[in-house]
Amino acid sequence: MNWKNVLYLVRVDRKSGRLIRGVKATRYRENSFVAYWPYWTALIIGVIGGYLSNLAASAYYSHGVPAGVKPLSIEAVSFFSVLPTLVLVVSLVFTLFQQIQIGVKVSGQVIYSLPITWEEHAMASILANLLGWPAALVVGLSSGLIVFSAFNGLILQALLTVAVLLGAAFMASSITESLRLIQVRFTGAVYKSSGRAAIWLRFITYILIIVIFYIAYFYIIYGTGAFVANLTAAQNAVWYVPFVWPALVVSYLAKGLYLLSLLFAVLSALLIAGLYYLAVDLNKRYGLYEPPAITVQKSGVYAPKTGILGRLGFPSVEAALIRKDLRAFTRRRELLASYIFPIILIILAIFESVGITSGGVTTPSANIIYVAWMFLLPTSSMAMLLGESLIGEEGQAVWRIYASPITAKNLVKSKFFVAVMFSIIILVISSVVGVIVYHPSLRKTIALVLEAFFLVPALASVSLQVGFRGADFSASRRARMVRQEWSLIGFGVSIVAGGAVLAPLLLLYGLAFLSHTSISSLNLIIGVAVSGVISAAISAFFYKTDVGAANDLLRKAEV
Amino acid sequence: MYTQAAVELNQVTKRYNEIVAVNNLNLTVGTGEIFGLLGPNGSGKSTTLKMLLGLVTPDKGSVNVLGLDVLKQPVEVKSLVGYVPEAANLYEFLTGIEYLDFIADVYGVPTAEKRQRITEYLKAFQLEGREGDMINSYSDGMKKKISLISAFIHKPKLLLLDEPLNALDPRSARIVKDYLQSLKVQGVTTIMSTHVLEIAQAICDPIGIMYQGNILALGNMDELRRQASLPNSGLEDIFLKLTGTEDLRAVVEELTR
Repeated sequence: MNWKNVLYLVRVDRKSGRLIRGVKATRYRENSFVAYWPYWTALIIGVIGGYLSNLAASAYYSHGVPAGVKPLSIEAVSFFSVLPTLVLVVSLVFTLFQQIQIGVKVSGQVIYSLPITWEEHAMASILANLLGWPAALVVGLSSGLIVFSAFNGLILQALLTVAVLLGAAFMASSITESLRLIQVRFTGAVYKSSGRAAIWLRFITYILIIVIFYIAYFYIIYGTGAFVANLTAAQNAVWYVPFVWPALVVSYLAKGLYLLSLLFAVLSALLIAGLYYLAVDLNKRYGLYEPPAITVQKSGVYAPKTGILGRLGFPSVEAALIRKDLRAFTRRRELLASYIFPIILIILAIFESVGITSGGVTTPSANIIYVAWMFLLPTSSMAMLLGESLIGEEGQAVWRIYASPITAKNLVKSKFFVAVMFSIIILVISSVVGVIVYHPSLRKTIALVLEAFFLVPALASVSLQVGFRGADFSASRRARMVRQEWSLIGFGVSIVAGGAVLAPLLLLYGLAFLSHTSISSLNLIIGVAVSGVISAAISAFFYKTDVGAANDLLRKAEV
Repeated sequence: MYTQAAVELNQVTKRYNEIVAVNNLNLTVGTGEIFGLLGPNGSGKSTTLKMLLGLVTPDKGSVNVLGLDVLKQPVEVKSLVGYVPEAANLYEFLTGIEYLDFIADVYGVPTAEKRQRITEYLKAFQLEGREGDMINSYSDGMKKKISLISAFIHKPKLLLLDEPLNALDPRSARIVKDYLQSLKVQGVTTIMSTHVLEIAQAICDPIGIMYQGNILALGNMDELRRQASLPNSGLEDIFLKLTGTEDLRAVVEELTR
């Protein structure tokens, strides 16, 4: 294997992921300090975390080994032994999730015409998948382990654990690579044979996959403590599961069982090699992908329709833009992720309330937080996410908007309609689920539904502004739609705008809580009505500025 | 002879940082002409075409298209122009027919006409049978055909075509060439950039040769021959002489060494 080729491929892969194609920034510019922030941040956190852990451990063991507790060296290495499995699971979730968002690699890409072997392609793909959060996690943990161990005479154990962490991450990414290739082969065959149904098949499949991964993600992020505790107890018992083999190398080392440690080291190495060669073999078979021709309409049945949008009074240009965006959001898998989040929020609220993610059952009807979450959060996040992404999602085809007789008003109206329409759909779904799960009173239900309804145009108009100002039209390595800094600005402004809309109701609840009284119906009606007025004012103001921002975008339309 | 100007660029300059893409350009194209814009890579052809549509804003000078100021009335100009960019980035998640439907709606083509025109163009460019497939499965040539149809579909008065025949099969290329000639008779103006000098010589009149953001020579073939002092020569020799690249033997010798 030529490692230089691997390095070049990884570099190309990652650079394509960092390209920013804003409205004005048509040339490649990179600030390496910003580009590598996850790694140096992880390194700093790791070093500080390792040092603080050392201080805490020193304090704990300052008067000798407490009763019922093992010596520091044993307790520490016992903790080290959990980390490989943690890294493996996190890397698996993140790399798979990343693959969902990245467009497929097609055979037309020039990279496949270069004299590079499939071994090198597979290795580069596996390593490139790891860059990002999995690599940052390994950097953070490794630096923390080394700093902690340097103070406690455990440096050899720490270095071995770091090597095992790298192996675990590589193992996870190899699995992802193989799954990616199997998925390419499988979906290609299914789409070819399923015609129009392929659109919906793909839509539903991706929703399911993303929902599962988001839930796994939240489970790991919020349940890390429980996850680690469970692993410590469980992984020795399930030694026959190959995924825990790397962890067992460290675990048996900690117990002084060197032969067993060596055995699992050999088994892990063989497993990693096996997974790598499986990925190579699958790359050879299915690595070159040709997009299947998905037939949406059969030949000879074309009949243009006025459609419901025309009957609703939209001019043909706006109706065309809305129809295009609706199709984009059911057919482009990279866009599914951006509007699947509200669905995840609904599912998470249900899981939280029945104790799946939090580890304990809450009393749903008594918990106003969950009720408010269910009614307000999914709808708000839908309005925010869609508003921010609806401009950048035009991608490289944005020239079509620039070159067509589309006015700023046409553009804003059609995008605003799409954001509001999808948000209202989510509002209906979350309200129905909220009523079924939490049984709020009719009064509370009506108030929350109206508040959510008022949030929609306000947040959609605010986030459209962000979408226009911070549009990111880059399509590779994955479509991002909005630049990070603008996304953060949008988040802040949306919180302020959303807070302003909800302020009357929050004020009423605050006063009622302090005075231990309940809110009268009249006050509730007045509060909701004031929210409506605030929403209308915010929406009108931002809608007007959206038209200005769209004008800027179209005027500076440099392609 | 057509006298009314379809396109007028007056002292137009466009810079990209330190690079001058178009330098003080004056150009008039008459109504009903097929104007060929030639030049080496990076000579400013595409930038010029984009400025005519308002896709690139000039730093200096004025651009008038069909009697309208592009900077002041961009939407009106766009509704009268059909544009084919060099790289056809289309909405790949749409089918061919959905894309054309979208374009026709954006330009406000009436429903009955839309149906008729789409059907005719699909037949002419032999896309029947594939029009219901998503564009991501189309070849480059098929995408170019969709791009061309979307420029023709609203019956524009001005066509801006950037390398329109690239990737087309010979039959479709012939259709486009003949179609442009028939549109010329109807008074439709075409400005096309191309590197295929035979095509430019065959269908364009007049021809402008751009180099480093300037027009080096302008006119019909006879006028170009006179300007290059190359009587009885073809367009290739004229082009190479005017752009200062006529003596290529040394380059080839260097490469073969």
